[in-house]
Amino acid sequence: MKRIFTILLQSLLLVALTFMVAAGQEEKIEETYSVWIGSSYTDFTDYTKKIGEFRNGDDEFLPEFSIDYLSRGINHIFSLNGKYRDENNIIADMSSKIGDGFSADFKYRSMFKQAGQDMLANLETREAGGGKMLTHEILDPGADYYVHRKEIESSFNLRLSKKNNIRLIAAHRTVLQTGIEQHIASSHCFSCHLTSSTATIDKITHQIMAGLQADLGKNTVGYQFGYRIFESEAPVNVADFDDAIHPVFGTKGAEFGSRMIYEDVTLPVGEYPNTEKLSHKLTFKGDAGKSSYGSSISYSKATNKNNDLSSTALSGSAFYATSLADLTRLIARFSVARLDVESTFVDLPLYRDGRPGTPKDFDFTRYSSLNRLDLRGSVEVISRLNKRLTASFSTGIRLVDREYYPADDADATTTFFGQAKVRYRKGMRYSTSVKYRFESSSNPFTSARGLFEARGRSILNSVDGTAFVYYWQREDLRYQDITTVPTQAHILDVTSSWRPNNKVNLNVGFKAKYDKNDNLDSLDISHFSMQPSLALNVNIDPKWTVSAGGSYAFKKSRGPVTIALFDG
Amino acid sequence: MYTDTVSAPGDPLEIETVHYGSAYTMADYETISQNLYLTTSYIYSPKLKFHGMVGYNRSTAEMDRVFFPDVSTQTEGDLAHSDFTFENMHDYSNLDYELMNFSLGFEYMISKDVVWTAEGEYADLKDNEGYVYDIESGSMLMIRSGIRFAF
Repeated sequence: MKRIFTILLQSLLLVALTFMVAAGQEEKIEETYSVWIGSSYTDFTDYTKKIGEFRNGDDEFLPEFSIDYLSRGINHIFSLNGKYRDENNIIADMSSKIGDGFSADFKYRSMFKQAGQDMLANLETREAGGGKMLTHEILDPGADYYVHRKEIESSFNLRLSKKNNIRLIAAHRTVLQTGIEQHIASSHCFSCHLTSSTATIDKITHQIMAGLQADLGKNTVGYQFGYRIFESEAPVNVADFDDAIHPVFGTKGAEFGSRMIYEDVTLPVGEYPNTEKLSHKLTFKGDAGKSSYGSSISYSKATNKNNDLSSTALSGSAFYATSLADLTRLIARFSVARLDVESTFVDLPLYRDGRPGTPKDFDFTRYSSLNRLDLRGSVEVISRLNKRLTASFSTGIRLVDREYYPADDADATTTFFGQAKVRYRKGMRYSTSVKYRFESSSNPFTSARGLFEARGRSILNSVDGTAFVYYWQREDLRYQDITTVPTQAHILDVTSSWRPNNKVNLNVGFKAKYDKNDNLDSLDISHFSMQPSLALNVNIDPKWTVSAGGSYAFKKSRGPVTIALFDG
Repeated sequence: MYTDTVSAPGDPLEIETVHYGSAYTMADYETISQNLYLTTSYIYSPKLKFHGMVGYNRSTAEMDRVFFPDVSTQTEGDLAHSDFTFENMHDYSNLDYELMNFSLGFEYMISKDVVWTAEGEYADLKDNEGYVYDIESGSMLMIRSGIRFAF
């Protein structure tokens, strides 16, 4: 709390100081104040956490106030807007601009959100005949989960030199989240026991950016440095994991214990990473006759300080826009990004170490599916066909070549899109726009071999030295890729506005999307959504205004429901 | 993480897992959200203005009933103690919320620089299904009043 007040005060003082300096140097031509002081009373009935998700107070009066201030001079503008609802719901904006040489903005947001408690009641079952079971236990009944989020943003733009318009640009953002949240821990499947407990939230994010920008002829070049840290200062949450016992008989033996990574122990769970990110960005843009162009190159490195794992991103982008004719414009865009995430070795104890038969080693290296080369390119042509009709056509391609997933030699995901948009406008009375987009993808991201299992009877053999077949052997039976990502998508967006006179304004819209995946053998995976909407505004007379409308959103997804047929 | 059952642990020659692969069927999942609203403002006199709003939203989500194929042939009559019909599974994730809200308020100009404001809001949420948080039905009444000074 002390830190946030320090940041808050420093930012406020800086913006206010610039205003006072500017305002003191010239005569104000406009100055308005508005202050509202009042109170609110809120009463809740029955379950409060849904209907009152973002509200404080219950059966009590709370003081409230708001303030609006505007000062405008020949060479400056300063505004302040603030609203205090309660100690957790506060909004404040302040901005100051002095000529073309300096501008500063400051924002503060404080909000409160309640969360319900997952009762885990749908996680309760037992096999017929008193066999294996799934149980749950609420260790924190009646817990009052909530998150209080505070965000401070400030930005400054200062001209250092009129020659070449050299500017210093800086920005800062801090986000603090405090409260308590539900944590659910699951013991191994030998007991299938889920527990709910309360975990403390105390997270902070600091982000700063600083850069220089200069005009060189008709070109502008710039450099930005960024730094971001995320830390959790909450005590690490722990969970108690059960003894490894037989799921039916409740007996404990060396066999069960030898299969566990851990059992009968209290361990930290749900630990947040402490991360740090550094970034550098070079930008370049300019004009040449009827054309404009720009490009950027950036590099960033993010590190999880808890385990020293890091990821890097190197990216570049460019655009070129030019006139093909008097009323026709072409825009071309290209970008490339290379993401690398360090792999990590996961060292596990030997499975069934010391038991009859050969123990199984499940050690593995975790490679990231984020490791990839991401290429994008697009071209758009916009043309005004006549006074009433404007049309645009665009097409593009995206290629994502993942290094490790689902296999080292897997083909890249290639997505092609084509889009057409037509807009008809008849003065201020009527306008309609229709947009259609088609996307086609090959090799979309999948869960490889994740859905089905082949028949194991007569195929699976007992492990040498034992009379048993183990669950892990089923991995060899798995097949059938599955994904929710489509190979084809059709998207339609229609909007229409009609204003028959100065009193009536009617807006009608319709959005629809259909997509499916043809690469999943006989599985018919598809999604369909549509959303018609209507809004009517009527100024019945100069004193009376009515607005009415509605929308209907429908979404349907089709996917497989599957189950392994076995006893074990 | 325990073993599959074996038919005759004592005789390695008779060992066969009770594992018959997997079965599947296709099912649909639908979500629908309907939203209606009406807002109005009325200037009764230079000193008195009214504003009001009424809104209605209904959101539902449900899975079609899962008709699982008969797997008895695939399981060779085994696993008879297991139920693969899933007759009630489609009801597990049903959602059905109805939200009604109303608000009414006025602004009365006491003097050139002083305005009295007052508003009330009532919202009622009806949870017809209940999910992981149990039934979430509840209502809220809020009243707010104050004085605005303008210069």
